[in-house]
Amino acid sequence: MKTRKLSAAARREENWGWIMVAPTIIGLFVLNIWPFIQTIYTSFCEHLGFGHYRFIGIQNYTDMFSNTEFWKATWNTVWFCVLTVPVGMILALFVAMLLNTKVKFKGGFRTIFFLPLVCAPAAVAMVWQWIFNGEYGILNQILGTNIQWITNPSTAVLAVAIVSVWSSVGYDAVLLLAGLQNIPKTLYEANSIDGAGKIRQFFTITVPMISPSLFSVLIMRLMASMKVYDLIYMMSDETNPAMADMQSLMYLFYRSSFVAGDRGYGSAIVIWTVSLILLVTLVQFWGQKKWVTYDI
Amino acid sequence: MRKIPRITALVLTAALLLALCGCGASDGKTHLKFQIWDTAQKPGMEAMCAAYTAQHPDVVIDVQVVSWSEYWTKLEAAAESNTMPDIFWMHTNQLLYYADFGMLADVTDLYDDVESGYYQNHFSEISLNNASGSDGRYYGVPKDKDNNVLVYNKEMFDQAGVAYPDDDWSWDDMVDASQKIYDATGNYGYLAYSDEQLGYWAYVYQNGGYILNADRTAAGYNEPGGKEAMEFYIGMQQEDWCPDQTFFTQNGAGATFWSEKGAMFMEGSWSLLGALQNNPHMDGKWDIAKLPKAPNPVDTPESLDKDGRACISNGLCYSAAAHGKKLDVALDVIKYFGTEEAQLIQGESGAAIPAYLGTEESWRVAWEQYDYKINLDCIFEQFDYAIQIPYNSASPRWKSQVMDVVTQIYAGNQEIDSGLDKMTEIVNTETAKKLAGN
Repeated sequence: MKTRKLSAAARREENWGWIMVAPTIIGLFVLNIWPFIQTIYTSFCEHLGFGHYRFIGIQNYTDMFSNTEFWKATWNTVWFCVLTVPVGMILALFVAMLLNTKVKFKGGFRTIFFLPLVCAPAAVAMVWQWIFNGEYGILNQILGTNIQWITNPSTAVLAVAIVSVWSSVGYDAVLLLAGLQNIPKTLYEANSIDGAGKIRQFFTITVPMISPSLFSVLIMRLMASMKVYDLIYMMSDETNPAMADMQSLMYLFYRSSFVAGDRGYGSAIVIWTVSLILLVTLVQFWGQKKWVTYDI
Repeated sequence: MRKIPRITALVLTAALLLALCGCGASDGKTHLKFQIWDTAQKPGMEAMCAAYTAQHPDVVIDVQVVSWSEYWTKLEAAAESNTMPDIFWMHTNQLLYYADFGMLADVTDLYDDVESGYYQNHFSEISLNNASGSDGRYYGVPKDKDNNVLVYNKEMFDQAGVAYPDDDWSWDDMVDASQKIYDATGNYGYLAYSDEQLGYWAYVYQNGGYILNADRTAAGYNEPGGKEAMEFYIGMQQEDWCPDQTFFTQNGAGATFWSEKGAMFMEGSWSLLGALQNNPHMDGKWDIAKLPKAPNPVDTPESLDKDGRACISNGLCYSAAAHGKKLDVALDVIKYFGTEEAQLIQGESGAAIPAYLGTEESWRVAWEQYDYKINLDCIFEQFDYAIQIPYNSASPRWKSQVMDVVTQIYAGNQEIDSGLDKMTEIVNTETAKKLAGN
C-alpha cells in the first residue's frame, strides 16, 4: 500500500487550498446536495403540513404516471424545447455572424441584441403579455389577425417560446461571437484561394471551428428550456383556459408544491424532470463526439 | 505559519458565515415584526401601531408588507423554521391549517380580565367563526369584515335607457339590462369572470344552494340549487354581452369596467376606496348596488337563504406566532388591536370595515375627503344576509383542484354537469382524508 508523503510545506499548501475552497464546498453541500437528497426522500412522502412528512412509498409516482395533466405538462415541456432550442440557436448563430462582419455601428447593434438580457424577466413578460393581448395587442394590429395568443391552446406554448427566444438570442449570440472571433482569418483566405464559396466555407470552417461554443450554448439552452417556469408564471394565471396546454413541468411542480401544498407529489415531478435533463445531457455528451471538434 | 487542519478550516468558515446573519437590534426595546399583505392598508396598520407604542414606548413594531401571491409560501416556510413574524394577518382559508398544527397562539382568554364574553359581545358570529380553530377556540382577534357588491356604470345605463339597479333587482333584470346596454352602446354588460368569492359563490347561495354543507364535510356544487346557479353563471359567457374567459384572463374584469368597456361587475368592498382614488375620470359615472337576487331560488332543507338574497362575507384576523420569543408582548399588541379604540383607527384610515360591532360606520370617515359619493349604505345593509366564506380544514388542498376543473369547464374541455360532480368529489375526498388524518 502506498502512503502519501508530503513535505511540511506541501501539507500547509494543501490545507490552505482546503480553506480557499471551503466556502464553495459548504455552499454546494448546504444549498444543492443536501436539498437534492431531501427532495428524493420527500418524493416518497406525503406532506402533512409545516415540514411533517409521512412515508408512502411510490404512491406519488404511481399517481403521477397515471395523471393525464402530468403527461400533458411533459409534452408541453418537450414541445417548448423543440420550439426554442433549434430556432434560438440558428437565430443566435445568424446574429453572431452578422455582428462579426464589417458593418457600421457594430457596437450599437451588439448592445441592442444584448439588451433583453439586462431587462428583468418579469418586466419582459409583462410587456409581451400586452403585445400578445388578443383584443388590444399590437401584434394582432400589425398582422391584422384576431389570434388569442396566450389563451388559445394551440398558440400558447408558441407565444411563450417566442418570448424565450427573444430574451436569450442576444446572450447566445455574444457567446458564439467570441467563438467566431477566434477563427484565424488565414483559414478563410486559404479556403477561398482553393476556390470555395461562402456556403462551403460556413460548413467546412465556421461550424467546425465554433462547434465547442455551439455545444455549450446548446446544453445551456436545452437545460434552461426544460426548466422553464418564470415566463409561464408571469404570462398566464390559473383562470387561463389554455393553462393545461401551456404549463411546463416546473410550473406544475410549483402549483402542486406551493399552491396545493402537496410537496411530496411536487418532489416527484422534480425528480422526473431532473431525470429527463440528465438523460438528454448524457445523450448530448455522447453525441458531441460525432460533431464537436476541439482541436484542428 | 502553523498548520491548519482541514476540519478547523471548515469550522472557521462556517463560523464566519454564521456571524453574517447574527445581527440584531440592541437599543433595549422590544422589536416586533407585523406582517400584512395589502400595501393600501399599511398606513392604517401603522397608525394603530403608533397608538400602541405611544402608550408602550419600550415596544417598536415594524409593519412589513409581503404581497398576497407569496404571503402563504413565505409564512409556511417561516413556520417550519420557527421564524414566523410576531404578529400577522390570518385569512379564513388558512386559519384552520395553521391553528390545527399549533402554529397560532390561542387568544381565547385574552380579554378575560377586561370583560367576560368580550368576543361574543363585540364581534359578529361570522367574525368569530373566521377566527375559530377546529377545537372551537380562538386563534386570532377579528380584524375586519367585507362583502361584495355590484359596481355599475351609470352613464351606460342612461344611454340604454335602463333604470339603475335597485334593491329588488334579480338575475333576470341584470341579464335584461346587459342585453340592452350591449345593443345600445356596444359595450359589454355584466362581466361574469371566473372567480369564487367575486363570482359564483354568491350565486350558488342566492339560489338556495351551498358550496359546503352546514358541518362543512361535503360540497354541494351538483345539488339542484348549486347546479342551476353554476349553469347560469358560467353560461353568461355564452352571451354576446359578456366576454369569454380568454378575454378575462388577458384583460381582467376590473380593468374592463374602469376603462369604460363594460357596464357591471362584482367587486369586493375592500377594493372600492382604491378604485375611487385611482379612477378620477369616472367620478359621477359609477355607483354600487346590492347584488341582484336569484329569481326562483331552490327550496331545500339545506338552503341557508330562501328569498334569493346572499352575499359572501369574509373577515381577517390578527394572529400571533405560538412559538414566538416575544409572545407576551405580541399578545398584548393584538389585544389592543381588538379594542374599540384600535378598530376605530383602522376604520377611519379607510383600511377596512372594522369587525368590532358598532365601529363599522367609522369606515365612512375615510370617504369624506372625496367629493364624489357612492351608495355605501348598501354594503352595510348586505351584512344582514351575508354568508360566511365557505371553507374547511382541507381548503388549501381542494381549492386549486376545484379551480382547475372550473377552468376546464370554461375552456370547453369538460361538460358542466360532470365537472360539478368532479368538483364535489374532490372536496369530499380531500375533506374526508383530512378528517381521517387528524
